[in-house]
Amino acid sequence: MNRMEDDLTCDDVLDFVEPYVDGDLEPAEAARLRVHLESCRACAAELALARRIQAELRALPQLDCPPEIVERVRREGAQGAQILPFRSPVRRGTGLPFRGARLGAAAALLALALGGGALFLRSQQQPKQPSAAEVARATQQARYALAYLGRVSRQASLDVRDDVLARRVVLPAAQSVSHSIGISLGEAPEKPVPARGDRAQ
Amino acid sequence: MRKLILPLALFLAASAGQAQPPSPGFVPLDELNLFPRDQLSVEVNLAGGMLHLIAAAAKDDPDFSGVVAGLQSINVQVFPLKGIKAESIKPKIDHAVHWLEGRGWKANVRVRDQGQETFIYMKELGGKIVGLTVLTFKPGEEAAVINIAGRIDPAQLGRLGHTFDLPQLEKVPVKPKKP
Repeated sequence: MNRMEDDLTCDDVLDFVEPYVDGDLEPAEAARLRVHLESCRACAAELALARRIQAELRALPQLDCPPEIVERVRREGAQGAQILPFRSPVRRGTGLPFRGARLGAAAALLALALGGGALFLRSQQQPKQPSAAEVARATQQARYALAYLGRVSRQASLDVRDDVLARRVVLPAAQSVSHSIGISLGEAPEKPVPARGDRAQ
Repeated sequence: MRKLILPLALFLAASAGQAQPPSPGFVPLDELNLFPRDQLSVEVNLAGGMLHLIAAAAKDDPDFSGVVAGLQSINVQVFPLKGIKAESIKPKIDHAVHWLEGRGWKANVRVRDQGQETFIYMKELGGKIVGLTVLTFKPGEEAAVINIAGRIDPAQLGRLGHTFDLPQLEKVPVKPKKP
């Protein structure tokens, strides 16, 4: 049995890898490719990468596209890029001009389908439109929340104001009066219970 | 085959786009675990689309509608303290204060008066207020935490605060259904 010669270059092999992974390469071409791969670790790594990407793509969830999205993709595809029939196998010097267009169209279709699927999933996840009664109740809750916020803020502001008045007006005035009439007030407490209010800003 | 990386990347990017990051002014009250949820007297959780609907439905009240339209979330928890030892809740309030301060929230007002404590924190981003959180603790009465996130105009909020008063608070929906 004659052993085949490795007559492919690494550039040639790159064109064969995709159809080989897809099982679309003719047996003779596949044999030539395998001979090259036995002696070329770089191309073997390229093949491994191609297989891994294919496996990951196949592992993606199957999206059940609604018919209107399928129809829209078909319509836009017809208006935009011309989708060429699949050609197999790819041969040097003959299939290359079409290969780029085919891959581009496939990529565009896949992106459209995935995008449409994602939109479909998102639309499925959206909660149903709330009823008028639910909106009214939510409005009451929002009013309550803002009212509570307003009340607490106002009370806090009043506390701060009282504290500032006590420190800067009431206490100095009392000390001044006591000094003028000769009575020592000592360290008058600012409030019956320790209080502190401060503005950080 | 290598060109299939492009749609794969597009798909991954689209998948990543599904999860919306929370607003920087949002405080996850559940994570803080301040109060036992089954004992809350009031709980309000409003966000996103519902706030837009509220704003649209309240067009006859432009101040209220304007405030709500800018918000991304409103969350309130009120916990009654009657018959509950203050010491059991106080550490949780302190924990929440540390949590906020550790995440860039600035104390606007801190008041401690006769055992009652009130903290008002604000979160700023690019010179704009994007979050407001109030923690209040009144022994023997109630403790509460309020967080609003989104576009907050203090002046607008202040004007609105003056229009609300106690009668509004008396309409409180006690223990509403969780949205």
